[in-house]
Amino acid sequence: MKGKKIRNGDIENALNKFLKDEHHLVLGFKKGTDGIHHQVFKGGVDNYSLINHVFGTNGALYLRRIFSKGIEVLLMMRPCEIRAYVELHKLTQIEREDIIAISIDCPGTVSSKESKNNMPAEIDQLKGYFSSNNSMRWACSVCREKRGVVGDGGIRFDKTGNLWIIPYTEKGERIISIIEGELEEIPHEMLIDRSKETEKFQVDMETFNKDFEKCIMCMNCRDMCPVCYCLDCVFNGDEYLPKGDALLNKVFRTGSTTMPRGKDLFHLIRMYHVSQTCVGCGACEEACPQGIPLTKYFKGVSERLQGLFSYMSGRSFDEPIPYITFLEDELKEAED
Amino acid sequence: MAEDEKNKNPEIVGFACSYCTFKASEMAGSLRMKYPEGVKLIQVPCSSRVDPAFVIKAIVEGADGVFVAGCHPGDCHFIKGNYYTRRKIAALKEMFNIFSMKEKLRLFWVSAAEARRFVEKVTDMYNDIKEKKNEG
Repeated sequence: MKGKKIRNGDIENALNKFLKDEHHLVLGFKKGTDGIHHQVFKGGVDNYSLINHVFGTNGALYLRRIFSKGIEVLLMMRPCEIRAYVELHKLTQIEREDIIAISIDCPGTVSSKESKNNMPAEIDQLKGYFSSNNSMRWACSVCREKRGVVGDGGIRFDKTGNLWIIPYTEKGERIISIIEGELEEIPHEMLIDRSKETEKFQVDMETFNKDFEKCIMCMNCRDMCPVCYCLDCVFNGDEYLPKGDALLNKVFRTGSTTMPRGKDLFHLIRMYHVSQTCVGCGACEEACPQGIPLTKYFKGVSERLQGLFSYMSGRSFDEPIPYITFLEDELKEAED
Repeated sequence: MAEDEKNKNPEIVGFACSYCTFKASEMAGSLRMKYPEGVKLIQVPCSSRVDPAFVIKAIVEGADGVFVAGCHPGDCHFIKGNYYTRRKIAALKEMFNIFSMKEKLRLFWVSAAEARRFVEKVTDMYNDIKEKKNEG
């Protein structure tokens, strides 16, 4: 695979060059006075940051319903955000024509709720910082794809501290042509390695009920989920929740008396609905005011359900989402 | 006594495709075959009409078991509806497996002519669930 070596300042120059056209935008990270945040850049970049070591929200959340006719948007985001973008494209929530997605190697992040003092800003130092303590978010520590290998292009770090920009599609090649230099063979070993396999998730309803005891049904997890996109969610209003006699019925039949009613229903249904598209970014857990271990459930369930169809969310634009396609001869063991 | 009996007898919700399984249940009726009264059928236009959310809602709100039944693969009135059902329900089964309650969901194919097969399948499921329920 071939890519371009990036020297210091090359990326800012390239972005500024790209933004000279007034119909171009860049969605990336900006260094603020208190941490690093998502920012739309227009006209030029200032205080630009390539990586963001604090996870607040998943940037793909802001991309829903973009049908940008004639406005070109360059995404410079983490792999999990680009993967969510790929899934949203497959769900016809975004049109791909005018969007260029560049994924950047991610060393892992800390939660935005944690203190971010004395954290290093460079990627190689960050990697050392995370291996010296356990401040990394749980979702990041079990991440399936930290490498910038998704989207139209990727920015990778090699072991000697060099940056490489690698095109994966024609659009990526166009962006890379802005940067000076020749295409060279990229080194085989990179700083961020392939992720390790995690154990198969298995749980029972008792543990589930205990973990979700604290849920107050604020539905922040749904609202901040990048791939939970339905405009008309079944849980808008209380039409889908057990109420009145149905609630009494539920109490007598199942013996479940916890309130707010229907939280088990809400989480189980949501778990199924995002099962094939969940990228395991942990934005739901980040948004939860009660500190429920949502990632453990959503990521665990989605990984096993995707495994059933050898699918991985956001891996490529060409793989269709399993529920909207089929093979005639498969899943014989599913029928009784 | 009556209350006890009600508690011990499971209730099963079945989603039945109106072109095959529901027809098979009607045929079972006209042939005077018996299947347990705890089985409640819901007629759906095609088995792929069943959103897995319906199944989860039925289980969470107190059903002891749920089955989804449709035409044999390849025989769908809408050409390919039951292939989608198979994928969706297979994934839902895997999810129920994760939550250690995989015995609560079944998927079977019953054509309009297979009244006997329909009765066998639902009675089988009913008895398994009843056994499990009376154990605990």
